Amino acid sequence: MAMSLLTHSDLEKISKQGLDLLYPPKTKITVGMATCCRASGADEVVEAIRQEVKACLSDAVVTTTGCFGICQKEPLVDIVRPGWPRLVYAQMDGKRSRGVIQALAENKIIPKHILCKIEKETNLIENTVRLYPLNGLPEGIDQVPRYEEVPFFGKQQKLVLQNCGTINPDSIEEYIAVGGYRGLYKALKELEPEKIIQEVLQSGLRGRGGAGFSTGMKWRFCRQAKGEEKYVICNADEGDPGAYMDRSILEGTPHSVLEGMMIGAVAIGAQHGVIYVRAEYPLAIEKLSLAIKQARERGLLGANILGSGFDFDIVIERGSGAFVCGEETALIASIEGTTGEPRQRPPFPAQQGLWGNPTNINNVKTWATIPLIISRGAAWFSGIGTEKSKGTIIFSMVGNVQNNGLIEVPMGRTLRELVFDIGGGIPGKRKIKAVQTGGPSGGCIPESLLDLPVDYDKLASVGSIMGSGGMVVMDETACMVNVAKYFLSFTKDESCGKCTPCREGTRRMLEILMDITGGRGRPGDIELLEDMSRIIIDSALCGLGGTAPNPVLTTIRYFRDEYEEHIKNKRCPAGVCKGLFEFYVASDVCTGCGLCLKDCPSDAVTGEKKEPHRIDPHKCIQCGICREVCRFNAIKVR
Amino acid sequence: MVTLTIDGKKIEVVEGITVLQAAEKLGVKIPTLCYHKALKPQGACRLCVVEIVGGARRGLSASCAYVVEDGLEVKTDSERVIKARKLVIELLLLRCPEVPEIQKLAQEIGIDQKRYERFQPDQENCILCGLCVRVCEERMGVGAINFVGRGSRRKVSPPFGNISDVCVTCGACQVVCPTGAVDLAKVSKNEPRPIPAEFDEGLRPRSSIYIPFPQAVPKMPVIDRTTCMHFLNDACKACENFCEAHAIKYEQEDEIIEVEAGSVIVSTGFGLTDPTIREEYGYSHYANVVTSLEFERILSASGPYQGHIRRPSDLSEPKRIAWLQCVGSRDPSIGKGYCSSVCCMYATKEAIIAREHDPEVKPTVFCMDIRAFGKGFDQYYERAKKDYGVRYIRCQISKIVEKPKSKNLFIAYIDEMRGVVEEEFDLVVLSLGMIPSETSRSLAHALGIELNPYGFCQTGSLSPMETSRPGIYVCGAFQAPKDIPETISQASGAAAFASEIISPARGELVTTKELPPEQSIAGEEPRIGVFICHCGINIGGVVDVPAVKEYVKTLPHIAYVDENLYTCSQDTQTKIKEVIRENQLNRVVVASCSPRTHEPLFQETIREAGLNKYLFEMANIRDQCSWVHMDKKKEATEKAKKLVRMAIAKASLTEPLHEQELQINKRALVVGGGAAGMTAALGLADQGFEVVLVEKEKQLGGNLRDLYYTIHGNNIQEFMHSLIEKVHSHPLIQVILNGVIVDAGGFKGNFKTGIMSGPGMAYRKVEHGVTIIATGGEEYKPKEYLYGQDKRIMTQHELEGKIAHKDIDPKDLQEIVMIQCVGSRIPERPYCSRICCSSAIKNALKIKEINPTAHIYIIYRDIRTYGFLEDYYTKARKAGVVFIRYDLENKPEVSLEKEDLRVSVYDPSLQETIVINSDLLILSSGIIPRDNEELASLMRLQRTQENFFLEAHMKLRPVDFATEGMFLCGLAHSPQSLDESLSQAKAAVSRACTILAHDTIMVGGIVAHVEDEKCAACLTCVRVCPYNVPFINEQGVAQIDVAICQGCGSCAAECPGKAIQLQHFKDEQIITKSSALFKENVA
Repeated sequence: MAMSLLTHSDLEKISKQGLDLLYPPKTKITVGMATCCRASGADEVVEAIRQEVKACLSDAVVTTTGCFGICQKEPLVDIVRPGWPRLVYAQMDGKRSRGVIQALAENKIIPKHILCKIEKETNLIENTVRLYPLNGLPEGIDQVPRYEEVPFFGKQQKLVLQNCGTINPDSIEEYIAVGGYRGLYKALKELEPEKIIQEVLQSGLRGRGGAGFSTGMKWRFCRQAKGEEKYVICNADEGDPGAYMDRSILEGTPHSVLEGMMIGAVAIGAQHGVIYVRAEYPLAIEKLSLAIKQARERGLLGANILGSGFDFDIVIERGSGAFVCGEETALIASIEGTTGEPRQRPPFPAQQGLWGNPTNINNVKTWATIPLIISRGAAWFSGIGTEKSKGTIIFSMVGNVQNNGLIEVPMGRTLRELVFDIGGGIPGKRKIKAVQTGGPSGGCIPESLLDLPVDYDKLASVGSIMGSGGMVVMDETACMVNVAKYFLSFTKDESCGKCTPCREGTRRMLEILMDITGGRGRPGDIELLEDMSRIIIDSALCGLGGTAPNPVLTTIRYFRDEYEEHIKNKRCPAGVCKGLFEFYVASDVCTGCGLCLKDCPSDAVTGEKKEPHRIDPHKCIQCGICREVCRFNAIKVR
Repeated sequence: MVTLTIDGKKIEVVEGITVLQAAEKLGVKIPTLCYHKALKPQGACRLCVVEIVGGARRGLSASCAYVVEDGLEVKTDSERVIKARKLVIELLLLRCPEVPEIQKLAQEIGIDQKRYERFQPDQENCILCGLCVRVCEERMGVGAINFVGRGSRRKVSPPFGNISDVCVTCGACQVVCPTGAVDLAKVSKNEPRPIPAEFDEGLRPRSSIYIPFPQAVPKMPVIDRTTCMHFLNDACKACENFCEAHAIKYEQEDEIIEVEAGSVIVSTGFGLTDPTIREEYGYSHYANVVTSLEFERILSASGPYQGHIRRPSDLSEPKRIAWLQCVGSRDPSIGKGYCSSVCCMYATKEAIIAREHDPEVKPTVFCMDIRAFGKGFDQYYERAKKDYGVRYIRCQISKIVEKPKSKNLFIAYIDEMRGVVEEEFDLVVLSLGMIPSETSRSLAHALGIELNPYGFCQTGSLSPMETSRPGIYVCGAFQAPKDIPETISQASGAAAFASEIISPARGELVTTKELPPEQSIAGEEPRIGVFICHCGINIGGVVDVPAVKEYVKTLPHIAYVDENLYTCSQDTQTKIKEVIRENQLNRVVVASCSPRTHEPLFQETIREAGLNKYLFEMANIRDQCSWVHMDKKKEATEKAKKLVRMAIAKASLTEPLHEQELQINKRALVVGGGAAGMTAALGLADQGFEVVLVEKEKQLGGNLRDLYYTIHGNNIQEFMHSLIEKVHSHPLIQVILNGVIVDAGGFKGNFKTGIMSGPGMAYRKVEHGVTIIATGGEEYKPKEYLYGQDKRIMTQHELEGKIAHKDIDPKDLQEIVMIQCVGSRIPERPYCSRICCSSAIKNALKIKEINPTAHIYIIYRDIRTYGFLEDYYTKARKAGVVFIRYDLENKPEVSLEKEDLRVSVYDPSLQETIVINSDLLILSSGIIPRDNEELASLMRLQRTQENFFLEAHMKLRPVDFATEGMFLCGLAHSPQSLDESLSQAKAAVSRACTILAHDTIMVGGIVAHVEDEKCAACLTCVRVCPYNVPFINEQGVAQIDVAICQGCGSCAAECPGKAIQLQHFKDEQIITKSSALFKENVA
């Protein structure tokens, strides 16, 4: 039985144990084992490393961590050896990692596999920097770029993700070692609940779930609501296509979410916490469950937390895959065991939430930000970001961009910086066309608006939303009508069907988009789409229906000509909608490399090596593989 | 309380209600689909969205789910709102293009179909409003169905798409579904069990909370605990949410009420024979075999098919309809040996009405005899045959066979001409007999009264309303099967018995109503209050009452106008009184139902508020508008406006009228000293009223003098002597023998009649408050069948006398023929004399009793031994009396050849002529009224074509004359048996007491008034007045006594000098009222 924490010195004691784990006096090999890492082969890597360490590096410690953000380069393996900087090996596999360990056994490194070296680490909570003591550096380390020099990292400012990919999520000690639970201690022992809310209000933190409502205000409503029992809920029903920020946080630093909820509970006066996490996140559930168990063992959950007399506990509820359950009222309904469908607000959950009690629901990222704010103060936090959007924002940047991954930047960075500086731009010599933010509820922002600073209000001003942090980069091969169709078909499928405008309206709008992309568009369709969109937004029961037409509206707004081209000329200029275009080879660009010829599934490409190739339009099935494989952007559309 | 603004109107409402409910209070209509009063709001359909323009959260929101907040500002008809609503309707119309509810909404909101032509509509019925799901879960606690699938794949289904075995088939889902999309068979494993509506004989279902029948008193719903989901499953309680008066009380229990009473009257009526008692008629398994009561409901406009004649199997319109008589009657094999008395007539009535509904209907009645023995009934029966083509076939049907496919019915019968015939019918009606009502046996046990072998109440044959226990009386069908007039008579008769016992205490419990002084409206401009009634949905469902209300506001003199759900309800009466006071109204108009039923109520109400009751005016917008223009709502609304406008125009000219109080003379005059007259006189005297009994003969007794025994064996002479003795010895009865009425005058409460009597024909004037006419009837002296030409030919009366006086010894007789309907049911005298069949049987049995070997032949047309008399018919047949039927076309022939008295008759069933040499020929001659022409003309009494006196209403006022204060009973009314006469006499007593019990009466009010200066004494009024009221007075002008004037208006209409005005219907008032029909502003 672990000892219960009561005092600050208790925390310090644990912190010391944690530091020993984080920075042991011997070689520590850490493998990124988040879901993204596992998807790219981390299991094989960790197995290989364990075997190899047993064989040739028996005094080394092998441990695991969460996602470090640069998912494109996973699996990552960190080497921390006394006297060296932390080395981040990227794109590992079994064979390579064996090589790395073997080299390590010989005190060597393999510089070409190292993504970067980290020479210092920041403890945000305590506002300290820890430098890796350097002596006896291995050969070739000079070739390795510093962490700050890698554009993907250098332009980011990690707050929430600070420890993600660094600490072991299974270790409460390590979390405490990097400043964990100091915020809770402060909240319980030093601040009045009203003061906590005051801090959160002054920090300017807005809900990271998408709507961007003031977190402090929300807490205050719930605190003021009458009710003997109150609930705080963590909304971890992350469902936007391509978004996985919440998952990474839960897997990488679960205690930060728990601590945030505990502070929230203190402020609001809640006795019960629920984490509603989708069942498709088994690893996150595993990490959370462990974290909750550890917190209970340490007296951080349950009765009389930190000896303060405050009682609070957290349970996990698994959601079963309905996108709409991310909506507060649907989420509550789902927890209550009924169909996960939203209901009209008011009454708001703060008035009548779970089991009819006042309830505060925040997103994973919001909760994870709270400990930082309480520890470092509102002023520090509100110093980051823009006037009305404070702090940082986490995106999962995917699509036609070089560096897919999880990024955290202060509010106010431009989209261009995100896509080109951090993301590394568009692969394959193609031009960027649009950036989609906010998931299916968001909108498409055209290339012309890339210099837009990213914050809640700026995104809204161009018809999109911040959303929970999904970001899809699209190049010129994206048909914007098709994009709208994609998102609408998602929302149509995910509409619960309770209210008429959303259920019937999205379906009918999708029919129009299917017609347009199928060459059956009619004059007036665009106006009909716009009209229906506006009324559906206005009249739908919940946020899902109320935002579902956004992708349609923004694509019409910025790419109306593409729609018109589809309708009037039955032509898809991007070459996506089958039957509405023809592929041809730009003979002046084609080098005759033969890749397209090789991959064409219908033998439509002909041509001699090093001679410009040709596509037989009669044989072409418009699958687009040729264009995908062409490295010279020689496949054109007409 | 919370104050909010809806469409610019401020309203204060209680906390916690929704915007929708608040809007309703303001009369702002918001369309809804997924909303239901009894269910938690969902806000799902989005049809009820409103725009929140002021408040915490602006934008569109579902009004059904938005709880009011202080300072909230709402718009229900902004462009945004309309757009959203249109989209909802458009989308639902694409989903459910054939659903009328949606089509209706689409039409109301006006959508542009063109815009949506690009879409392919679905063919769904379900709009996914979820009401069914919610009622099942929330109210019934069952949850048999729910939504499955998401988004456009959403549908309502039991779990896993299986049919549910937890569904209790309560049908709530069907009830709440706005589109009729619920098919219980696809939902439930269990069979739906509709609750058969008792009043509609199970032809349609009813709900568990219901008004048992339209005439229920009090007209309040009851909860059927055996079917109510709340009582069965502790569920539902939806009714509670609907009742705004909070009148639902689930905890109410039956109460035992103890009443102390001086006497008890049992009138538990009848039930119907179980139609399955004759299995061969297939009632339980042939859909198109219905009972007569079911058919009665089928014919009813308020019945299951709204008065369209349909048959149950396929709701098609049956053309060939057969009635099978005597199902459960005249059938000793099933213990129902008696005749139910009424079936022949109701079958005839049903046949006629069916034919009136649909001229293509071909009615056929299968019967043994047709028993049209009531007053005017035979004439009706003849009309049925001649004018309505009703076919009567004399054959008892042995079975019915259904044709499986068509569900038509085959009946095989014997046709007297054609032999066995098989005929196909679309519908068969079983004319069910009467049985005592279900609970009568236990009631009889509780009361300690005896029942007869058939379970009806046992009474003496000469005391038909007295049960075996003194002080307990019976009336109606519990005593014996009977029709309405006899029932009503008996009811009044029983009341006479009952009040006789308690007459010393009369008036003790009366409390006089205190009324406020009548306020003067002299010199006031009309200030009219108008109350327009919805009459539930009777009016409101057709006429746009709010529109009428708005319209009325535009008319002159209107000081107040409102609409009520039920204007006749008690709370509305209270409200009307308040409104009169608050708004200083001096005229009141109610636009509702019929003045016949409700005018007195409203008059009383305004009187209680201090207004003269004649300042009330009524417009009938129900019977004369909504009921007759059900399918033309718009036109009906316009007509209602006109009707109300007319009433208002008239009301503006109405004046207070005053009635006078007159003393009532508490003496009664009874004319006729036979059984009825004596009984009436004794009845009145026993209640403490003085009676003058006038008999024109030298002694009392009338027909009783010539009668000796009843069919039941009572000694009539004994009975008569005892009656005469009682009359003579009663201190309050003054008997005038040899009396003749020579003049008559006066009116209800104050009659004056001149009588000459005694050997010297002394004249005396009798003053009396009521008159009972019991002048009786007599046996018709036949001219037929050689009557008078041979002493062996005599009437039944004569036979009875001769047997009694032993002038004839039946032992000497071997062959006796009796001919029925002598002088009855013939063109000159088309009525049935009712008692001749039983007289013949009585005498035949008497002869058989004395001489069992005598051969008695009764030649008859129909044997009409109704009720328990049927037992004697059976007995006679068993005793060997031969019954031979004849038709009017083949009357028996009587000849005297030498000594032979020969009767020949064609027997239609044997199809041959039978010749009987008879020792005696007894003619069953009918009853004719005594000479009453002079009396009728002196007293201005109306008579039938046959010269019987005519009652005020054949069914409902059988012993009242149309002239108030005058009553009739006995054979003067119609042919009837002794016990029936006695019943009627008692009934007349009871009716007379309703006047005599009062000290004064109010007269005047709506009466004619003569302007002396205009009167030319032309005598027109004197001649036209049906009540003999006007006379030329000493000043030489017409005078009309307000106490006798009946307000009929004939004189006012006829007066050539326009000297007479009928109060309340003055020329000016009528002209103004009729002008209002054509012009809007006349008042």
